[in-house]
Amino acid sequence: MDLPGYYEYYCGVKIIAGHDALERIPGVLQDLHARRPMIVTDKGVAAAGLVDIVRGAIKDQLSIGAVADDVPPDSDLRVVNRLAALYREQGCDALIAVGGGSVMDTAKGINIVVSEKADDLMKFSGAGVLKRPLKPLVAVPTTAGTGSEVTLVAVVKDHERHLKMAFVSYFLLPDASILDSRMTLSLPAAITAATGMDALTHAVEAYYGLSKNPLSDATALAAIRLISRNLVKVTRYPSDREARLAMANAAALAGMAFSNSMVGMVHTLGHATGSVCGVPHGVCMAILLPYGLEYNRHKRETIMGELFFPMGGSDVFAGTPKEQRTDRVIAYVRQMNQDLHDASGGRHARFFKEVLDREGKPAVTRERLPDIARTALGDGSIFYNPEELDYDDFLMVLEAAWEGVALDPGCIRK
Amino acid sequence: MPGPSLDKEETVFQPQRAYTFYSPTKVLSGNKALENLPVELDAMNAVKPLILTTPGLSAREMEKVMAAAFADSNLTIGVFAGVPPQPDLMLIRELYGLYRDNGYDALIALGGGPVMDTAKALNIAVSGKPEDLGSLADRNPLTRKLRPLAAILNLDLSGCEMTRYVSLGSLSLTSPALIPDLTVIDPRTVMAEERKTVASTALMSLTQAIEACLHPERNPLTDAYAYGSARFIMENILNVLRNPSDRKGRLALANAAFFAQTSFDNLAPGMVYELGMAMSRSCHTHPGLIMGLLLPHFLLLEMKKETATRKDLYLFIGGPEAFAGTMAEASFRKAVDRIVEILLELQSLVMDFPRSIRDVGIKREDLESLVEPQSAAGVRGEYDPQDIRNILEKAWETRF
Amino acid sequence: MNNYKEIHSGSKPFKRAYVALMLWFVGRAIEAAARVDGAVQAEFDGLPPEFTFSLGVMPQGPTMIVGKDAQGLVKYRGWNPEGQKIDLKMKVKNLEGAILMFTFQESTAVATARNRLIVDGEVPAACAIVRVLDIVEVYLLPKLIAKLAVKRYPDWSFGEKVWNRIRIYAGAVFG
Repeated sequence: MDLPGYYEYYCGVKIIAGHDALERIPGVLQDLHARRPMIVTDKGVAAAGLVDIVRGAIKDQLSIGAVADDVPPDSDLRVVNRLAALYREQGCDALIAVGGGSVMDTAKGINIVVSEKADDLMKFSGAGVLKRPLKPLVAVPTTAGTGSEVTLVAVVKDHERHLKMAFVSYFLLPDASILDSRMTLSLPAAITAATGMDALTHAVEAYYGLSKNPLSDATALAAIRLISRNLVKVTRYPSDREARLAMANAAALAGMAFSNSMVGMVHTLGHATGSVCGVPHGVCMAILLPYGLEYNRHKRETIMGELFFPMGGSDVFAGTPKEQRTDRVIAYVRQMNQDLHDASGGRHARFFKEVLDREGKPAVTRERLPDIARTALGDGSIFYNPEELDYDDFLMVLEAAWEGVALDPGCIRK
Repeated sequence: MPGPSLDKEETVFQPQRAYTFYSPTKVLSGNKALENLPVELDAMNAVKPLILTTPGLSAREMEKVMAAAFADSNLTIGVFAGVPPQPDLMLIRELYGLYRDNGYDALIALGGGPVMDTAKALNIAVSGKPEDLGSLADRNPLTRKLRPLAAILNLDLSGCEMTRYVSLGSLSLTSPALIPDLTVIDPRTVMAEERKTVASTALMSLTQAIEACLHPERNPLTDAYAYGSARFIMENILNVLRNPSDRKGRLALANAAFFAQTSFDNLAPGMVYELGMAMSRSCHTHPGLIMGLLLPHFLLLEMKKETATRKDLYLFIGGPEAFAGTMAEASFRKAVDRIVEILLELQSLVMDFPRSIRDVGIKREDLESLVEPQSAAGVRGEYDPQDIRNILEKAWETRF
Repeated sequence: MNNYKEIHSGSKPFKRAYVALMLWFVGRAIEAAARVDGAVQAEFDGLPPEFTFSLGVMPQGPTMIVGKDAQGLVKYRGWNPEGQKIDLKMKVKNLEGAILMFTFQESTAVATARNRLIVDGEVPAACAIVRVLDIVEVYLLPKLIAKLAVKRYPDWSFGEKVWNRIRIYAGAVFG
C-alpha cells in the first residue's frame, strides 16, 4: 500500500445504505434538530415515482414543507434563488435532495443561500469562503453515479452572465447520504451504463492521480471491484436489487476517492466536451477513460497494473504476468464499453463519433475538437494528472477518442 | 469477459446488509503536517488552542515541535504537559478553569490513551458546562457539536483515540460528537516510542482490523479501512522494529492504527479485543500484546467453523499478489501462518516479548471468570462461552 | 499551575527572508520572461485586461504581485498587496509549505496535489499562471532541478534556452 509523503483526507458524510435506507431519514433529521424538510428534485425523478417512494418512507414522521421538482438538467442560478425563496416561505429547516448531479448541486446552492441569507450567491464562490455549517442536507442519489452525494463541490451556472460558479467547502458536504436500491431500480440502460462509467472513471483517476492516498486507494479499489462485478449485469438486468445496491455503494465509494484524490485528464477533456458539445458527463467519461490510462501510462505503469486485481479478479490477476497487467486494464475498460454498448441496445457510445444528440444527429463533430482542446486548457483538474498536456496533446487524444482508436504510444511526448 | 463470480475474494467490499458508516475526522498525514494546524483551526473559527500532553522528557521535545509548527502563524498556544496515566474528573475541573480563564477556543491532544480521554472529556465541559459531564454519564444526548478538537497521534495508543468512546475514571460515554475533528500524523511525533510499545500498538491495530473484517455487520467501508490498516501493518511492523528510525514505516503504523480504529468504531468490539482489554486490566500489560497472543487461536477456531464468516482474510493479510497466487483451500490458513510468523519474529526483535498469556501473569484459575458474560472481569459482547474457553485454553497451553 | 505555559508564536526570519528573496526574483523573472518568451506573453494575452495575480504565504506574507498594465505589458508590482486590485490570489498555507516549494522539494504540481496552496479566483486563470511559473522555472533552474519542479521538461533548442535564460536573469536582477 502506498503512503505518500503527505496527504489529506476527509469525508464527513454519514453513509446509510440498504434496501430500506430511506426510512432512516427522519432519524437523521431529528438528530440534527430539523423537522420540516424541503425536497429538491427534478421532473424525471418525480415521473419515475421516486419522490413518492421517498415521501412514503418519511411522511409519517416528518412534515414535508415543500417539494420542488423543477430543477433543470444543468444547475441554474435563477432556480437556486427561486427555490431558496420557496424554502423560506414555507418555513423549512432542512433539505432533502433526490436526484443526480444537477439536483445535488442545486440543493447545495440553495443551502448556501438560505444558511448565509445571501442575496448574491456569487459572493460565496471559490474555496474557503464558507465559515460555518449550513442547514441540514440529506442526499438521496438516483443515479450510480456522480458521487456528488459525498463531494464538497457544487457547480451552479449563471446563464445570464455565461458564468460557471464553483463552490468548494467542507460545509457543502451533505450530513447524510442515503443509498437505497429503490432509487435506481428504474434507471434506463443507457443512463445506468453512463453513470456507472462515471463512477469507474472517478475511482480509476483517483487511483493513478497525483493526490493518491491510502484511503482514496482503498475506497477506489472497493468501487472498482463492485463496478466490475455489477455494472454490466445491472445494465442487462435492471431490476436486480442487489446489483443496484452494489452500484450505489460503488458510486459513493468512488465519490469519496476522487473527492480526496481529485481527478485528471479524463475529467479535463470530459468537462470541456460537455461544455462545448453538450455531451452528458458519464458518456464522456466512458469514452475517454481508456485514453487517460494510455496517456499517463509511462508515469504510472505499476500503479495501473494493480487495478487489474479488482477488475479481473484474483485468478485472472494471478495468471497475468506483471508486465501485461496495464495492457489488460486498458483492454478491460474498452471491453466494458463494448459490453455496455451491447447490453444497452447500442445506446452506450464507445467513441465520440457515435454519440448522438437528442435529435439523433452527431453531437461531436471533428471541426469542434480544436474548441474542446482550447477549453480544456482552463480546467483545474489537469493539475492532478500525472503527465502534462498542452493544446496539441489534448487535440491528439480527442482525435483518437473521436475515431475510437488507441493512442499511438510513440506520439506521447515524455 | 468476467463470468459469474467464482473468485476467492467473492464477498470482499460487497454490501451484505444494511449499514451506517460515519467518520467525521479530517486526517493530515506526513511531512510538515503539524504546520497546517493554524489554517485548519482557523477554518473552524479557532485561534487559541490548548495542547494537552504527558510530562517527561519527550514533553520538552514536543513543546519545541509545536512551537515550530505554530511559528510564523501569529497565534498564541498553550501547553499543559501534566496529564497523568490515570486522569480523573478533578483534573477536568482544573483544566476547565484554565481553558476558560485564558480564552482558549480549541483543544489539541498530543499523545494517546489518557491524553485523548482527558481532551474528550474536557471538550464536553468547555463546550457546555462541567456539570454536563456528570449528567451525561446516565444518558447519551450528546448530539450537539463540541468545540474543535485535534488529535496528534503517536505510536503509544489505547485503541480508542479516534473513536466515539471516552473513559475517564468512572465516566464512560459514547457519542460521535467526541470524535476528534482533526487527526494529525507527523513524522516528528511518531519517533519516540520503544519497540515494545510500537509492537503493542501494532498488534492491537491488527486485532481491530481483523475483527472488523470478520465482524458479522461489516460493510464496504469498514472493509476498505481494515484493508488499508492490515496492509500497512503487515508491510511495516517488522521493518520498523528492525530499524527504529524508519520514519515512513512509523507513519504507516500510525495511519494503520487510525484506520483500524475507524472500522472498530463503526462496528462493535470483537472477542479478542474484549478479552485482551479484560486481561490487561488485571495484569498491567499492554492489551495489544495479549490480543496478539490470542489472535492465532481465535482465527484457527474461525477457520474450522462450518459457516466460516469469510474466506478471503489472506487478501488483507498477504495483499493482492500473494492472495491471488494461493489456492482457495490454503488461503485462510496462510493468513494465520503469516501472523504467527510475525509473532515469532517479534520475540527476537522485542525484549521480554511474551510467548504465551502465561508470561504476562495470567493464572489458569482466572480464565473461567473471563468466560462469564457480563461479569466484571469478563467480556461484554455475546459470544459462545465454549469458544472463549477454547481459545483461552489454547492460548494458555501454547508458547509461540 | 505548573506543567502549564503559554507560547507566543515566534518567527523564522531566515526562512522568511529566503522565501521573500525567491518571490522577488521569480516575480521579476516573470516580467522579463514575458518580454522574451512568446508562450509566456501568450498566456498573459489570454487573461483579462490589467489582470493581476499574487503569490504569497499565509498568514502575513511574504508576497509577490505581478500584473498587466494598460498596454498589456507584464510588470512586477512589488511585495505589498495593499491598494492593489488583485484578481487571482495564490496562497501557500504556511511558511514551511513555501520552503518546500522554493527549495524544489515539492514541485508546483505536487504542492497543489498535497493541498499546500489555496487558490482564490478563477480556475482557468490559475491554470495559465501555473503554466507561466513552470516555464519560468525551466529558465531559471539547471535542468536537474527544473525536472523536479515541472511535470514535463520541454524540448527547447539549446541556443534558444541559453539566450533567453541570460536575458531573463539579467532582467530579473537589473530590471
